[in-house]
Amino acid sequence: MKLLKKTNRTYFVTSALAFIVFGAVIYFFLSFIFEGQLNEKLLSDRLSVIRNIDKDGSLPYFPPFIEVQKVPGQTEQPVVSVDTLIFDFNEKENIPFRQISSVTAINGQTYLIIVRDTLLEKGDLLMTIIVAIGVVFVLLIISLYFINKRLSLKLWQPFYSTLDNLKGFSQDKPDIKLPAETKIDEFIELNKALENLKLKVISDYQSLKRFTEDASHEIQTPLAVIQSKLETLVQYPDLKKDQAELIKSAYSSVQRISKLTQTLLLLTKIANDQFPEKRSVNLSDLLEEKIKLFEDQINGKSLTLKKEIEPDCFLETNFFLAESMIVNLAGNAVKHCITGGIINIRLNKSKLEILNSGVPFSVLSSKLFERFFKVNASSESQGLGLSIVKEICSLNGWKIDYLYEDNQHKFIVEF
Amino acid sequence: MKILIIEDEQELLATMKNYLESEGFLCETAISYFEAEDSLSVYNYDIIVLDLTLPGGNGLDLIKLIKDRNRQAGLLIVSAKNSLDDKIKGLDMGADDYISKPFHLAELNSRIKSLARRRHFNGTNEVSFNEIKINVDSNEVSVNGENIDLTKKEYLILLYFMVNRNKLITRESIAEHVWGNDISYADNFDFIYSQIKNLRKKIGQKNGRDYIHNMYGMGYKFSDR
Repeated sequence: MKLLKKTNRTYFVTSALAFIVFGAVIYFFLSFIFEGQLNEKLLSDRLSVIRNIDKDGSLPYFPPFIEVQKVPGQTEQPVVSVDTLIFDFNEKENIPFRQISSVTAINGQTYLIIVRDTLLEKGDLLMTIIVAIGVVFVLLIISLYFINKRLSLKLWQPFYSTLDNLKGFSQDKPDIKLPAETKIDEFIELNKALENLKLKVISDYQSLKRFTEDASHEIQTPLAVIQSKLETLVQYPDLKKDQAELIKSAYSSVQRISKLTQTLLLLTKIANDQFPEKRSVNLSDLLEEKIKLFEDQINGKSLTLKKEIEPDCFLETNFFLAESMIVNLAGNAVKHCITGGIINIRLNKSKLEILNSGVPFSVLSSKLFERFFKVNASSESQGLGLSIVKEICSLNGWKIDYLYEDNQHKFIVEF
Repeated sequence: MKILIIEDEQELLATMKNYLESEGFLCETAISYFEAEDSLSVYNYDIIVLDLTLPGGNGLDLIKLIKDRNRQAGLLIVSAKNSLDDKIKGLDMGADDYISKPFHLAELNSRIKSLARRRHFNGTNEVSFNEIKINVDSNEVSVNGENIDLTKKEYLILLYFMVNRNKLITRESIAEHVWGNDISYADNFDFIYSQIKNLRKKIGQKNGRDYIHNMYGMGYKFSDR
């Protein structure tokens, strides 16, 4: 929900509630005052009537407001107040009246004095209050809406432009000017906090990047020394067979460590999003090209390769990562396919499927994507290929799935 | 042919120097940015091997100096950072080739010789070994004067052998040279055997001698001894 909508809604609800309470209070207050005044007026009317009778003995008669009768022989009775309905011939409806009546002795005569006046109709009062308050309420809401709209355009402007800047922020383009100009304290603070955060993010990213590169350098250089020494050592003429065996096994271990380091660094770099350059990659061409890499192995294992590759499938992604994903998946399929088996490679604009014949795994397939997981523990593989594929997929927002059906291992990447 | 090797790791530097000298190159070395600056401002080199990570300065800055002082020199960059940025920057600034650590000495040798050939420093575009001749411009291979048809991979393997003659070349090195780094996904190197078998057969058909010797199950040596 937009900020403006939310404020408007809150204003609307709270002012509606306030107006209802306000209306009720006014209603009870007004009716209390009216009634008090009415009672006072009736009492003073009664006193005027008594004074008139006392002065000249005339009996005022203004029905239905004042009615006086002689009631000889009755004892005096105190003032009684009642509400009553009297039919009005002009308006042709019952109208509520308040009347006070008393039997009063004046100059030895007893009189029944009834004084009445119209009661304010409660319905009318209520209606009037509702209409008045309603009009004020609607006017208030309309003006609040426009004031808010203007305010949010003007006041919140720095906030929205900062937000836009933030959306465009990325670690490989740290030059972006983050905070927008503003004079409001809260926004100035927000911008300061964001600026600090930005500097920290950039420096963290840079130091992480430097760390992986330094680690790579520090490990690869000694490995290069070992490898080159072994390659020099093996050039000596008349090496004995057991000496050569020692060199051979040391050499292959160096190779493994070197590959492992490269792979781990690659994983770290993917996780740190150190492959920011994206462009439109023709996955179909890339796939065809990479399959050629494995031709010799495919022929060597007498595999049948079936390709259903839709031409010109383009993806917006990092070229190196797309390449890495394809090589890993295709390489796995070739490596794990049983001799004489079938490899199926299908690509269309929405997904890539790579299948190879093989026996089902004895382990949980959910573990396949874990680092250093190997189906066959004694295998010389690193157990990192599928972790890389998974990292690449999650970085790009693709979905990777594994299935075993019809005696085939099936990997599906949905773009 | 004179080569300057700029590398701060002395052990590696010594091995590279020995290997390249045994291949008949004249090698000079520099172990820091300043030494490299000195050598570059005084002498001319045909080929320069430059490690980008140097004490005292960034190797990328040296490229500028090399391009100013030694314009005609072939430049091969070595880096352990395996960083794409450095590679692209280096090649943009005028480096001719890039190799990342750890590398095979045979690969280094092959790249340097390829640089040398491209620049025609030795006045020829032909690599030959007794009856076998390769024209590296037209990619034609002849045995005893008769052309033979090789696949691209067989051609690359043969050229790699002939450039690194009399040296043991490991299977890993051949595989990476011919199939690229992606080949590490292979289980075994059977596919190299079959390529080499075909190569032997094709050379044998034109009465060429078999110079490819299997060494300790570790690799091959191309030699007439």
